[in-house]
Amino acid sequence: MSRRKLSRLTQQLVFTGPTTILFALVVLIPFLLGIYYSMTNWNGVSRHLEFVGLSNYAHVLTADPEFRNAFWFTVRFTIVAVLVTNLLGFFLAYFLTKPLKSKNVLRTVFFMPNMIGGLLLGFIWQFIFVRGFAAIGQATGISFFKLPWLGNEPTAFWGIVIVFVWQYAGYLMVIYIASLGNVSKDVIESAQIDGATHGQILWKIIVPLVMPAVTVCLFLAISWSFKMFDLNLALTGGGPFNATRSVALDIYREAFTNSRLGLGTAKAVIFFVIVAIITAIQVRATKSREVEA
Amino acid sequence: MFGKKLMLLPALILSAAAALSGCTSGGSAGAAGDKVINIYQGKVEISDQLQEMKELYESSHPGVKLNIQSVGGGTDYAASLKSRFSAGAQPDIFTIGGFQERDLWLEYLEDLSDQPWVQHMDQVSKDPMTVDGKLYGFPLNYEGYGFLYNKDIFKEAGVTEIPKTLTELEAAAEKIKAAGYTPFVNAYAEWWVLGNHNVNVPFARQDDPDAFMQALNDGSADIAGNEIFNGWLDLLDLTLKYGQANPLTTDYNTQMSTFANGKAAMTQQGNWVQPTLDGINPDLNVGMMPMPISDDAEANDKLYVGVPIYWVVNNSSPVKEEAKELLDWMASSPEGQQFLTEKFQFIPALNNVEANPDDIGPLGAELTKYIGDDKALGWYFQQLPIGTPQDYSSLMQSYIAGRDTREQLLKNLQASYDNLKVR
Repeated sequence: MSRRKLSRLTQQLVFTGPTTILFALVVLIPFLLGIYYSMTNWNGVSRHLEFVGLSNYAHVLTADPEFRNAFWFTVRFTIVAVLVTNLLGFFLAYFLTKPLKSKNVLRTVFFMPNMIGGLLLGFIWQFIFVRGFAAIGQATGISFFKLPWLGNEPTAFWGIVIVFVWQYAGYLMVIYIASLGNVSKDVIESAQIDGATHGQILWKIIVPLVMPAVTVCLFLAISWSFKMFDLNLALTGGGPFNATRSVALDIYREAFTNSRLGLGTAKAVIFFVIVAIITAIQVRATKSREVEA
Repeated sequence: MFGKKLMLLPALILSAAAALSGCTSGGSAGAAGDKVINIYQGKVEISDQLQEMKELYESSHPGVKLNIQSVGGGTDYAASLKSRFSAGAQPDIFTIGGFQERDLWLEYLEDLSDQPWVQHMDQVSKDPMTVDGKLYGFPLNYEGYGFLYNKDIFKEAGVTEIPKTLTELEAAAEKIKAAGYTPFVNAYAEWWVLGNHNVNVPFARQDDPDAFMQALNDGSADIAGNEIFNGWLDLLDLTLKYGQANPLTTDYNTQMSTFANGKAAMTQQGNWVQPTLDGINPDLNVGMMPMPISDDAEANDKLYVGVPIYWVVNNSSPVKEEAKELLDWMASSPEGQQFLTEKFQFIPALNNVEANPDDIGPLGAELTKYIGDDKALGWYFQQLPIGTPQDYSSLMQSYIAGRDTREQLLKNLQASYDNLKVR
């Protein structure tokens, strides 16, 4: 081996080696172990386990209505949450890049919820929904606050959506702000001189130019909402009557509450495949719409 | 008890902190060569008293140190215990429930049959921890539940006799309603109120509960066609008809404050709420009564009693002799017994330990009377396949919300059992 080749190899090892080892330790090996456990009947406790082949997968796909319900909930939630979070994040960013006196304060305020962990947030909002909303409802008589918040399917669904959007819109806002700041003033100015309206400037010029940010934000929002766990656990615990049980929570319950870790891991592997496919499609689709000024 | 939401939060923080600090594994040596017994327990309400016990025990047993960690809240304790074991940080003493949890952990449990306190255990507390004639756990206490009722409201409404049939219960509820009180406050947001205690009633009321559950396991029994389950749903309907609004968002804390402040006359809970009630309203005149599911007064006159938690010794622990000595100290020495009754405010599950009615409160005293009169039925929810109680609570909530009919609910209960018994 030539000296040059050796030096290149050393460099690669020094720079990527530690990351590769860490990545293998915390992602790759657990993932492979997970695939192995998904083919066993391990209960999460015992020292002994039996290899059962694909029968866990068969059980999940054919005999488990809970998994189907959880998956359907997660899909509905993801569609709504991704749309609302991105729209809100974008428009917050759009208005907070305008010359406003209070824009720095407002940016901080909207980003703040992201600094609080989902678990804590869930408990706080549970109190707000169950006690706070009820108190406001009694005081003002507004019917919106008198709904049985978190007590039936629709209010529990929208309750999670509200908190999720409140938590993550600020984060997406920051990404959109950075991207909007990169949109060249020249392009907008020339559009104005050509007589374009505000709406036209927004949809025909700004949006296409921030498409890279849209790709990132959609990807983040999709993966967050698909994998949502802590908020779900703390806010509704999957209830009422399992109506708001996300797939991540269902996997946790199967593995730890029901002590069927093998079955739980099988669900996790199936879930991984589905999420990987969906995000791959999304990234391809939005990438193709990216343009350069 | 299980699942008190407010306790969940500090518990989660604690367990996170424990995970971060990388707890020592079983039986590590202390600074001066002390033997350390690591205890991992799930009853947060006695964590302060346990610290007191630790100090007393360490001063009378030089060379032994106790490291007690309390992690609360039903399933969360169970999950954290599992991760503790898979992380290789096994405690020397930990706490589990009987029957299903015993089977789950069996290969880690030390045989305690030869311990001196075993002779003082009742059969009902031995069964959940016995396999092939070997006993594996130390019973911490008895707990029992039924309907709690406010004696003052009963008097004011003119209910003089404790209702022991469904018809009498409905008549009493009518009178209470006419007197301007809510008859029932239902905490049906709590999974354990429904999935453990409420659903235990129809299982425990079977002629032979063990045979019934065996028949469910081999597929020869059917919940849907069972008369006792029908009577149980009559009772559930009655509590809803005479209950407060929004039972599905009423949690444990709301239930306790509504009941203790005298706004509702009856609620389904157990003797473990005594300290909570005392904390909210020390003057509350409270009693415990049966949960009738038919018009047969004698058959209905029962409370449901079990051992919620056993202390078990890890059989691979290097300090298991010291751990056994600690259990024996709790069971046999006057100081240890004082903790079991006076400090923990428990109904002792060992028949050589006497509890003073002042320590265990009116609920505990009434329960002790039912146990003494042989009018106690067991906790069969501990025999349901693991995860079933949680699932049952969801199915019952769906029924309470009016999404499912009675037939659908009974069918769902059966289907859930059939799904979860597959291991």
